[in-house]
Amino acid sequence: MIEKEANIINKLGLHARAASKLVNCASSYSSAVWLKRGDREVNGKSIMGVLTLAASQGTTLLIRTDGKDEQEAMDGLQQLINERFGEGE
Amino acid sequence: MTLALTGHAVARGIAIGQCHLAERNELEIGEYRIEPGEVDQEIQRFRSALTSAREQLEHLAGQVSQDSGATASEIIQVHIQMLADSSIREAPEQGIREDLFNAEWALQTQLEKILAEFRHMTDEYIRSRGEDVVQVVRLVQRKLSEGSEGKEFSNIPDRLADTLVIAHELTPGELAGLHERGVAGVITEHGSPYSHTAILASSLGIPAVFGVRMAQSLIREGELLILDGRLGVVYANPDDAFINHYHDIQRITSGFRKSLENIRSLPSNSLDGEIIELQANAEREDELGLAVDIPADGIGLYRTEFLYLRGEAPNEETQLAEYSTALKRLSGLPLTIRTMDLGADKTNDALDFNLLRSSINPALGLRAIRLCLRDTNLFKTQLRAILRASAHGKVKCLIPMLTSVNEILMVKSLMQEAREELTLEGYPFDQSMLLGGMIEVPAAALAIEDLGQHLDFLSVGTNDLLQYALAADRVDEQVAHLLDPLHPGVVRLLQHIFNASDSLRIPVTVCGEMAGDRRYTRLLLALGLRSFSMHPGRILEVKQVVTETHIPRAAAALLHWLNLGNERHHTPLLRLLDQSQTSH
Repeated sequence: MIEKEANIINKLGLHARAASKLVNCASSYSSAVWLKRGDREVNGKSIMGVLTLAASQGTTLLIRTDGKDEQEAMDGLQQLINERFGEGE
Repeated sequence: MTLALTGHAVARGIAIGQCHLAERNELEIGEYRIEPGEVDQEIQRFRSALTSAREQLEHLAGQVSQDSGATASEIIQVHIQMLADSSIREAPEQGIREDLFNAEWALQTQLEKILAEFRHMTDEYIRSRGEDVVQVVRLVQRKLSEGSEGKEFSNIPDRLADTLVIAHELTPGELAGLHERGVAGVITEHGSPYSHTAILASSLGIPAVFGVRMAQSLIREGELLILDGRLGVVYANPDDAFINHYHDIQRITSGFRKSLENIRSLPSNSLDGEIIELQANAEREDELGLAVDIPADGIGLYRTEFLYLRGEAPNEETQLAEYSTALKRLSGLPLTIRTMDLGADKTNDALDFNLLRSSINPALGLRAIRLCLRDTNLFKTQLRAILRASAHGKVKCLIPMLTSVNEILMVKSLMQEAREELTLEGYPFDQSMLLGGMIEVPAAALAIEDLGQHLDFLSVGTNDLLQYALAADRVDEQVAHLLDPLHPGVVRLLQHIFNASDSLRIPVTVCGEMAGDRRYTRLLLALGLRSFSMHPGRILEVKQVVTETHIPRAAAALLHWLNLGNERHHTPLLRLLDQSQTSH
């Protein structure tokens, strides 16, 4: 299992479309993906879960991946977040 | 007689045509218990409803992505993911199996659970995503109810060309369905301008006005309608003059983009020969590139918050690298770097700004320069990086949200320290780098004579200036109607800023939304503004107005308006300014 922090830097935060991309990305790996903000931890493959994190710009999330491709999953998610979900802002 | 109804302006564009009132098939959700022997069959029924709902959404996503690219289909993608979420797919099955609920009931129970969770969220935007969950669940419930064959509306004809549809409310899927049938425009009685349906309308290019109260009762089936999506107005039964006017506008907009290309290479001079400076607000690579291509006269606002939102506060070298890359991209154009404007709505968990979040009223709290003067180490690092960047190109430094002369003096003393340090350390920098201040605080605007003396240039942030002058929170949509740039108080405040800086002979720019909104270009010119800074994508639109404006005539019309007294309230300023251009 690996854990790493990520900062939500895109202007709109984890709004619906960004959350949707994140869920798509997480779901493309076989590893389990968990996202934690404060006390709240949700399944990174569930759109409802990710939305209810209400992670706005500037939020720090703890990402946890666990499984065979955990490193690839972590890298993929970090890249998506750092590329601001491809948002033009 | 023409009836005018107003709502939220959702998607630009004009539609003229016959109206059709959409009648919704009311969903009747039967709730009953099933026999234990029926469980498997009920689960099967639930699953096939899910499949059929997913197929409908996937079909729509395919349709819209061909028409309008990514945004529209992404919105529908969110709904598809919600359908696939275990809370929608698995939890109801449990209700069927364990509580012997029928599928509709099991789904409804689960919906209420999910909504309760969304209602707990403090974030307004996320809370409103509960609407999306309702829309997804309703779709499945429609698939479950055989009577209406899954149709949302009972009376929509197959072809909707030249037809404007009025509905109580619309889901993104329903809107996409109307689009497929060629609808000319849509009007709803309910729905927010921030909803997914609104975003979809805009990306599909369907002119739309939402939130027109009682539209279905006030407008009759088959009446002729004009929908003005820019203003959020619907005219029912308009007279010929109206129709002709709007036909003209439609003709103009189709040639609009082309006409912009024609002026790209022309200088931005007004009709009376004033040279108007048009700069870009840009920080990302693609925006900087666009600014160079347009070409803009420079970067009037380069925001630096993004550096601080990545996690740790950026060190001097990181900042210097960013600024130098931007300068290289600009190949000689001047770059106005605004120091960190964090606080209020732009916070960062990673930086230790304890005081920041304790404020009840963050827009009035410790933000921007106030925060920088509290944490002077953080600020001086940025000043040093900006100074060092000035050795690589034409750099100006802009301080956000100044309130008092004292703040400027403190900034200058820190700047002096930074200069002395850099000189000792042997780093080159531009000794005469200009220092400017942002005017956003109304009291600072009224005291330009005092603040301006200590600054090389001014930049007016109209978004915050409006928020503070009108005491209306920018992020609270309930008071959004008060944020009116044409409020006589705001017009006078701007007039004062431009007049006072003119007497002081210091250059002034506007870098807020108003600068890039061509509706206000003529007003700003009449008020005396000669330099604008906006998103690079807006520069040609604004330039077009500049090249069609005779400033002294517009200024005379403005003066007339300001002296109207009692009549002012009934005299639309923008129209008066436009008329001033043709009545000579």
